[in-house]
This record gives sequence, C-alpha cells and structure tokens, in this order.
Amino acid sequence: MARYARPVERLINELSRLPSIGPRSAQRIAFHIVRGRPEDAYALAEALREVKERIKPCRRCFNLTESEECEICTDPRRDASIICVVEDPYDIGPIERTAEYWGLYHVLGGALSPLDGMEPEDLRIAELLERVRREGTQEIILATNPNTTGEATAMFIAEELRDLPVKVTALASGLPVGGDLEYADEVTLGRAFAGRRAI
Amino acid sequence: MSSYIRAIRLVNFRNYRDAAVSLAPGLNVVVGDNAQGKTNLLESLAFTATGSSPRTPNDSEVVRWGAEFARTEMRVVAGGRERAVAVGYAPGQKKRLSVDGVRRDSLARYAAGEAGVRVVNFFPDDIRVVKGAPADRREFLDGILSSLRPAYARAAADYARAVQHRNQLLRRIRDGISSRRTLSTWDRRVVELGLQLLRGREAAIGPLGEMFSDALRALYGSQKAGMRYSHSVTPEAYAEALREAHESDIERGRTSVGPHRDDFTLLLGGVDLTTYGSQGQQRLATLALKFAAREYVREVTGEDPVLLMDDVMSELDERRREYVAGYFMESSQAVVTTTNREYFSPQVLKRARVVRVAGGSVIQEPDQKAG
Ligand SMILES: Nc1ncnc2c1ncn2[C@@H]1O[C@H](COP(=O)(O)OP(=O)(O)OP(=O)(O)O)[C@@H](O)[C@H]1O
Ligand SMILES: [Mg+2]
Ligand SMILES: [Zn+2]
Repeated sequence: MARYARPVERLINELSRLPSIGPRSAQRIAFHIVRGRPEDAYALAEALREVKERIKPCRRCFNLTESEECEICTDPRRDASIICVVEDPYDIGPIERTAEYWGLYHVLGGALSPLDGMEPEDLRIAELLERVRREGTQEIILATNPNTTGEATAMFIAEELRDLPVKVTALASGLPVGGDLEYADEVTLGRAFAGRRAI
Repeated sequence: MSSYIRAIRLVNFRNYRDAAVSLAPGLNVVVGDNAQGKTNLLESLAFTATGSSPRTPNDSEVVRWGAEFARTEMRVVAGGRERAVAVGYAPGQKKRLSVDGVRRDSLARYAAGEAGVRVVNFFPDDIRVVKGAPADRREFLDGILSSLRPAYARAAADYARAVQHRNQLLRRIRDGISSRRTLSTWDRRVVELGLQLLRGREAAIGPLGEMFSDALRALYGSQKAGMRYSHSVTPEAYAEALREAHESDIERGRTSVGPHRDDFTLLLGGVDLTTYGSQGQQRLATLALKFAAREYVREVTGEDPVLLMDDVMSELDERRREYVAGYFMESSQAVVTTTNREYFSPQVLKRARVVRVAGGSVIQEPDQKAG
C-alpha cells in the first residue's frame, strides 16, 4: 500500500534505485522536488533526457561524448603516444584536474570481478590491444582503482600487453589503498602520475 | 606513562540510556548482579577505543532496544594530554568516529591507534581461541596484528576479498560460465596479499609464543608452554602450490591453501591444549594468551594497553585470584567486572576504583585513601 500519492511514490521508487541513495534520502529528495518550483523540476527532467539522447561512448577511447570522438581524443595538443587506462568515464575528471597528464585515455567500463560476473570480455580490453597495435602506442598507464578488483584488472592487462612493444606502467602508490580514483585528491593523484613505475 | 581511559559516557548503548563512568589508572572493579550491564560497560570501552564491538560484527546490536542511535564518548589521557574520542552509530548509516571533534573516516586507522589508547580484552567466550576452530585462533592473531598496523588490517581485508573472488571464479569455471583466462591473475593477487599476512604472522608468533609461555607458567605452574604456527603452505612454496591445486580447487570451488587455512597450536608440556587440555587448563591458557597479547602490544608500541577483563575472577581459585589481582594493579589500567567484590581482598579494593552497576545505572563508590 502506497503511503503517498502514486506519483510521489513513483518518484521515490525511481530515486531509490540510484546508487548511494537509500530510501530515506530518496524520500527527502522527492519532497524537495515536490515542494520546489516547477521550472527546477523540468530542468532536471530535461537534463536527464538530454543526457540519454545526446551522450554516447567515444569510438576511440569510450569516454562519454556528444560527437563520434571525445574532446580529449580530438585535441591535437594531447600526446597520442600515451594511453591512461581507467575503469569508468568519471575517473577521467580527477586525473584531468591534476594537470599532470597530457596523453589519451581508454575507458574499460569496469573491472574484472568474478563476484559481480565481470569477465575480460565484458571490458574493453580487446579494444585496448587493438588500439595499441593500430596507434603504435608507446606507453600504457594502468590507472584502475587501487582496490582488489582494480589491481587484478591491472595485472591482467599488463599480462595481455606483454608481447606488444609498449611500456606498461602503473600509478605510484600513495593513493588511498582500497579506495576509488574518484575520491583521490589532486595533489596525491598528481604525485602518483609523476612517480609511476613499470610493471 | 601509558595512556588510560579517564571517563566514558554511554548514550543508548545496550541497556544504558545515558550513563557516565569515571575511571582511574590502575585497577577498576565493576561490580553488579547478573544482567545489570557489566559486560555491556566493558564492551562500550572496547567499542569506543577500537570503533567496533569485540562481541558482535553487527553494530545495530549495541543500540538500546527502541532507540534510534547509540553514542559513546570517551576521555583518554595520552602523553599527558587529554583527548575526546567518540563513536556514533545509527542503523543504516555509516559509523561516525571522531577524535577531538574531528571526523575520522578510516575504521582501520582508527582501530590501529587513533583513539590514543589500545585495549586487550577478555570475555568468557574467548575460550574458543583455545578450544575452538582454527578460524577462532586466526581471528585472535589477526586481531592483534591489525590493532598494531593498519597496513596489516588492510592486507587481511583485501586478502579475504581476493580469496572470495578467486573462489567465485573457481565455481564459475567449474560450471562452465568463465574461462580460465584470469585464474593466474587471481592467483598472483591472492599470493601477493597472502604473503603479507604470512610475514606478519611469522614475525609475531615467536615473541608471542615466549610471552604466552611465561604467562602460563606464572598462572598455571612450571610446565613448559609454547605456540607453534602450522602452515597450510610455506611462503616459498605458496605460488607453486596454488597453481598445482587448480584442478582440485575448481572441483571444490574453494581455495585450498593459504593463510586463511592456517592455524597455530598451543602446547602445554608438549601436549596440544585444543585437543587434550582440561577445561581449567584451557581457561588459564586463554587468560595467558591475553596476557601475552598485552606484553606484545607493549613491546611493539612501548605503551601498556588497557585491559578489559570480563568476569575473569569467578573461574580462578583463590591463589590465582590473588596473583591476577596483583597483575591488574601493576598494569597501567585494568577494568575488571565481577558479581562478587569479595573476589578481591580488602587491601586490593582499597587501592582500586569501584563502580557499581544496576539496571543500566552507574553508582561510583568514593575512592578509599590508599594506606
Ligand atoms: N541492545 C540492547 N538494548 C537493551 N538491553 C540490552 C541490549 N543488549 C543487551 N541488553 C541487556 O542488557 C542486560 C545486561 O547485560 P550484560 O551482559 O551487560 O549483563 P552483566 O551485568 O554482564 O550480567 P552477567 O553477570 O550475567 O554476565 C541484559 O539483560 C541484556 O539482555
Ligand atoms: Mg556479563
Ligand atoms: Zn575519446
């Protein structure tokens, strides 16, 4: 039995399906929207629609973009001989903010995780190997998250790349172990780039 | 001087609605009838010092029935300065740890000393470390090491996680869902982390064994005691053994070797206490292990940890009660519960802080002047 009018229940339901939003937060956000100005709610709805209609993966690096290729891949000032491998598109932001990195990216779309059923085939690892062959990449920086699945993914990719003429490095430690790149601060992450080591 | 707990306040913790206790260095005796809150009070001290309960992995159990949250605040005297540490918990939310009002977000780091005081606790149920399964003994050893080194705590958690992943992969391979492509990757990951545990445990087991032997001799008698680590695989053979176990591991869906399968044996006069110890020997050995843990923490950190001892006296005969009371009085701080204050001699009580608990309320008895 619904405790609130059906549309409100529906909104609470949809919101509570989002990551890190529990039933209580969902309720709080829903009532915030119900109380707020209509324009604000429509702007949010419009933003959601636009994202789904306009955003797609970059065909080269799988970063999110409105065009065929993302702004980073098409920027002529970037060093195309280096590729930094990350798990998710939102890992790119923190690295960009360090202003220490001028190469390209490759977004895997997750990490190897038997517990979540994530296999090599579910990640863009084959696409990465293909890119390295085609683009003649000189260096791969593995910047997966410093946690169990991220480290295993880095190990696996390093192994897969072994027979290709490319230098493979990983970020220097000093990142909060067990955490996410997303939450690393700029200075620490910048230092991790400067001190990357071959693996 | 080593650090000690000067006071604690409990809000909605177990059967305490809102109670404050002030503690002294040296011996503190918590007296009360059955089911009044003695164990709960000890638990709250450990909970605040380490950020989690030594009795349950389920934090919501400590929240007073019908209450929405539990909160404990402790004043710790460390290095001549006083600091305020607090732990707050509401079911469904992240635990809040703070030191002098500043939030701490890593439980591992908090547990490894940020509160400014370390504890070694004894609960009657701890006899399972001696009597119980290998997992109980591993938990004891890993607990000590984790409380001393956040890096060990992290490696232990990561190792457990990596083994879970590997086990799931083994089952998926067995069931034809996954290929073997990533198995060697998970092997390497598991070995890398497992070696950190093995090295940590190997470094500790020697000195800990000596301390256990000394403690048990003082408590029990002249027989020689010892502690022996038993490997499911040695560090040198680890990687190779894991590879060789592929087929059988896949069949069973479990990782068959590594520190999660290790154990240690407690010996008294050459006899395995787990299998052959009498009830009394096992009890004394449990206490000796806790005393050894205290010595070890003191040796590594240079600081005497606080002893939290639940109902330890009732299990001892008079001679041993006297010895143990002396032991507690010489420690920087010990908090000891009992239903019967007569387990302590009048001379001991004169020099101790006595706290009475009844139905979740605390009555501080005035200190007697030491003679
Ligand atoms: N979350 C909780 N909320 C309220 N009461 C609780 C909670 N958890 C336990 N209790 C109760 O607190 C009471 C005191 O428990 P405690 O284990 O501290 O007793 P004790 O004084 O150590 O007794 P004993 O001498 O029998 O060991 C018990 O009756 C128990 O049921
Ligand atoms: Mg009790
Ligand atoms: Zn791109």
